[in-house]
Amino acid sequence: MNNIALGRYLPLDSIVHKMDPRYKLVAMLVLMVAIFFPSGYIGYAIIGSFVLFSLLLAKLNIKMILRAMKPMLFMLVFLTFVNTLVLRTGYVLIDLFGFKVYSDAIFQTLYITIRLLLMIMVTTILTASTKPLDLTLAIEDLFSPLKRFGFPAHEIAMMISIALRFIPTLIDETNRIMKAQASRGVDLKEGTFKEKIMAILSLIVPLFVSSFQRAEELADAMEARGYIPSAKRTRYKQLKHTMKDWVMMFCVICVLGSVIWISL
Amino acid sequence: MPIAFEKVNYIYAPKTPFQYEALKCIDLAIELNKITAIIGPTGSGKSTLVQHLNALLVPTDGTVYILDRELSSNQKNKDLKSLRQRVGLVFQFPEYQLFEETILKDVMFGPLNFKMTEEDARQKSMTALTMVGLDESFYERSPLDISGGQKRRVAIAGILAINPDVLVLDEPTAGLDPQGAKSMMELFVELNRKYKKTILIVTHDMDHVLNYCDNVVVMKKGEVITHQQVNDFFFKGDTVKEIEMALPQRLRVVESLREKGFKLDSKISNLKDLANAIKKEISHE
Repeated sequence: MNNIALGRYLPLDSIVHKMDPRYKLVAMLVLMVAIFFPSGYIGYAIIGSFVLFSLLLAKLNIKMILRAMKPMLFMLVFLTFVNTLVLRTGYVLIDLFGFKVYSDAIFQTLYITIRLLLMIMVTTILTASTKPLDLTLAIEDLFSPLKRFGFPAHEIAMMISIALRFIPTLIDETNRIMKAQASRGVDLKEGTFKEKIMAILSLIVPLFVSSFQRAEELADAMEARGYIPSAKRTRYKQLKHTMKDWVMMFCVICVLGSVIWISL
Repeated sequence: MPIAFEKVNYIYAPKTPFQYEALKCIDLAIELNKITAIIGPTGSGKSTLVQHLNALLVPTDGTVYILDRELSSNQKNKDLKSLRQRVGLVFQFPEYQLFEETILKDVMFGPLNFKMTEEDARQKSMTALTMVGLDESFYERSPLDISGGQKRRVAIAGILAINPDVLVLDEPTAGLDPQGAKSMMELFVELNRKYKKTILIVTHDMDHVLNYCDNVVVMKKGEVITHQQVNDFFFKGDTVKEIEMALPQRLRVVESLREKGFKLDSKISNLKDLANAIKKEISHE
């Protein structure tokens, strides 16, 4: 439970951490679009080198990214399996007693692996270098032009930030209840099917009960302090963009441009 | 040594930026068949310490000896379930772990997990519920519909029904009304005296330490500062003043009477002696 590397903020002191979250968010979206362009290995080399460079700038560890990849491992194995069965183009790479593995199957899998790796890297850089609350501020800001058409930008940002705020709390709570039930003889690893169902139930029911209770308390506390979603409010934290944000934006757009140019 | 910690370190989230050393080289031996209080300011590692007792946490370094088991990080710790049957751990605010449809079923959940027969589990659960002061009228009610204090009792009964030899309680009286807290502590004393159970209680209430416990372990910043008999702790030496925790009420009364000019021995440990001493002082005037 404590080893969730994906999507966790790491309080480091780097230039990427200090960038404007709005720009970072847009840059991530642009890079995502670039990753999805069929630009071949050259395109991925360009994106990859840019992403690696930002990773270093953000003072993040490559090991951490690889850890984040771990849950994907099963998917990749499955993908390799299906690909070797289905894809029958290119030249024969391995011939196992008449069962032929074609080159395209391997390359296709490799290609998707790189794509996944790049996507995870990009999102990890964003989430590891940006506080969740700054991220929601950025979302609110980016959506604020839509307010004119009745789009509830603030409400959505508030909901997201509350949800994010309670993820660690819920993880703690889950750990606590798991331990408490383990003390009552619950064993999530062993046991018959019926026992396992019971074990999961003994975890989920208390979790739901306390979540609902917490939600109610939070709502009461907000109301007691006069929270009105539609009220006009000022912010303590003002988002400011500087030169480095523009430089980053320019680089990202260059990356997208070259990727588009390659795939044409 | 039946329950002992030997050079135990425990680190949360090691090798990450969130690394936190919760226990530092703990050496501690806990007497069986006694009530031991574990006290210390928040964040001193009390809860981490007690979670080692039923192997919910395994030391990062060092060894924990408990009953006939030995737990350390460089061995496979198998069959923890049998240990957990003998060492019952009641968490802080245990009322959040209730989930069954009826109170009786919830209390029976533990015993059934430890492979007791249905009949046996029911019997043990009814006994446990009686012990915590909940009568038959509660058996078929939902554990989520009763008051907070009653939920606490149900949760504690859930561990008592497993009938462990060692009972570990993490702040069992926090948030209870004084009367409820008192009867809870008296229940633990009874379990200790009558059924010879070893009891460890994490607490912030120095009155409870003085009134109900045999031994006291003081923790601070992940270390054990002192481990003494309760009477020695309060009435011999000065450790009790050094740890910056509120003294028990009885001692505070003596203290303020002395300040007002009463000639009382500050080491009076017995309530009767104290009353007599006060009477003597008053009749002198």
